[in-house]
Amino acid sequence: MESVIDTHGLTKTYKQVEALKKLDLEVPKNSIFGFLGPNGAGKTTTIKLLLDLIHPTAGSASIFGLDSVRNSVAIRARIGYLPQDPRFYEYMTAREILDYTAHFFFKGPQGEIDARVDETLKLVGLDDKADRPVKGFSGGERQRLGIAQAQVNYPDLLILDEPAASLDPMGRRDVLEVMERLRKYTTIFYCTHILDDVQRVSDTVAILNHGELVAHGPIEELLASGEGTIYEVKLKGAVENVQQKISSQPWVSGIHSKVLNGVTHWTVSISDPELAEKELFRLLAADEHAFVIDYHPQEHQLEEVFMRIVEGGKNGSRQ
Amino acid sequence: MAVGNSKMQLQTGTGWTRGLNNMLRGELRAWFHTRKWWTQIIIWAAAINLIFLMVSFSSIDAPVSAQVSIFNIFLGLAGPIGASIILQGAVVGEKKSGTAAWVLSKPISRISFIISKLISNSVGLLVTMILAQGLIAYLITAFVLEVTLPPAGFIAGLGVHLVHILFYISLTLMLGAIFDHTAPVIGIPMAFLFSQQFLPSLYPPLLKVLPWLLVMQPDNVSENSIAGALMTGTRVPSYLPLFAALVAIVVFIFVALWVFKKQEF
Repeated sequence: MESVIDTHGLTKTYKQVEALKKLDLEVPKNSIFGFLGPNGAGKTTTIKLLLDLIHPTAGSASIFGLDSVRNSVAIRARIGYLPQDPRFYEYMTAREILDYTAHFFFKGPQGEIDARVDETLKLVGLDDKADRPVKGFSGGERQRLGIAQAQVNYPDLLILDEPAASLDPMGRRDVLEVMERLRKYTTIFYCTHILDDVQRVSDTVAILNHGELVAHGPIEELLASGEGTIYEVKLKGAVENVQQKISSQPWVSGIHSKVLNGVTHWTVSISDPELAEKELFRLLAADEHAFVIDYHPQEHQLEEVFMRIVEGGKNGSRQ
Repeated sequence: MAVGNSKMQLQTGTGWTRGLNNMLRGELRAWFHTRKWWTQIIIWAAAINLIFLMVSFSSIDAPVSAQVSIFNIFLGLAGPIGASIILQGAVVGEKKSGTAAWVLSKPISRISFIISKLISNSVGLLVTMILAQGLIAYLITAFVLEVTLPPAGFIAGLGVHLVHILFYISLTLMLGAIFDHTAPVIGIPMAFLFSQQFLPSLYPPLLKVLPWLLVMQPDNVSENSIAGALMTGTRVPSYLPLFAALVAIVVFIFVALWVFKKQEF
């Protein structure tokens, strides 16, 4: 599989503090690559290293097969970048910002560049605010402008640092749609804290913690790595007998119970999913004093996997 | 290389000039497509020529060289102050606000970033401070003092002012590349500007090379400044300060480029 980004032992140290530790990363071409990690994990440091905004202490990175330090201008000519907190010249309008950005990449008839700028403004829903100075823009509008300027050059690689930050739910949905639309033309490498978004659009994920890569792979593999199976059960009536019966089964590793508004909520942890599938509902239904009102196996969510990996330190690694 | 079906062409080249034209276009737009240029002209007209006009009215019979030296002194002080104030934001301001990181994430060389700041601000200050104020001063000399100065000499004198301001532009640019805070970037040029009155008493050979002598009459010496001598058509005492300033400008720019290339954003 062809990769767009390749890093080998990429390391960044600030005054004895290792912000990034020997990062080995491969980002496949045309993937939507979610780069996750808690605050201070080293995500933005990695992005800045890729863009040559900061210089590596050790190791190397190549993008499109070019060295990120020696060929940084050639690399940046094929990249679109949205910073975490996009800052623009305040006196310029949105249209001027995009025109200014486009001229770093293109030359030729101004009319063609204007058309590209108009197209981009429309894509992010800023066409009605195109001629307003950026100074008066809200956080969400700045974010939309940031996304617009990042893809005005038809980039081969789009690097987005928190693309959905400061956007309302509609804006967030729009961003995800734009990302999915761009998937066939470009590779998208993005950081986010919104794990639902990652699960929805990403095909590959890497998790960074304390500057170290702790997980890296296709999202399905990562989700499948969840330990054991969990069933969510809601019951009414007297549940003591059935709880005792189910707890004694060898394929049940635990039941967590709570009562809300007269309804008992169980989270049943299972060690043998096949037996549980056959036996659990039968045992519940057989009890005469308890009535099942909801019953379903819980799917592993990325958030759960992320928390387990990050809180468990390196033990959660799938590398 | 064309882009899809469009007539747009991809910018090519990865050398030090990559991005220079566009960055320069943006920087000049900040000077001349906003109110900055005319507000600067008004501010400096009030600070330099209003005083020159008042002095001209009050001492109308004074020798012309003394009258012209008033203009040179005020432009000679206002120029470095203006250059330092305007340039301190050019690099440090962009580093602090994050716009430098944004621009440098585009295909632009770091040399282009610094050179565009140097050229655009030199052009901005040349127009608003030297040409505009020079023209007003020339008109005051002609109509209030009723003296016609040699135009070529007057323009040459303004050229010396340009070198003087370039010294402070490049010094501030260099300091902006080195420091991340505005205090040293504006404080060091100001301290240097005013300390030149006293430095020669500590080390007399400095009297021959300090940029002060480009536009200021040296103390205890009955000679004109270089700009004053050129404007009034009298003998230029020495061109050494001019060469020293030019060398310093080259050194400051070189250091600014070298430091900025190593900076992290």
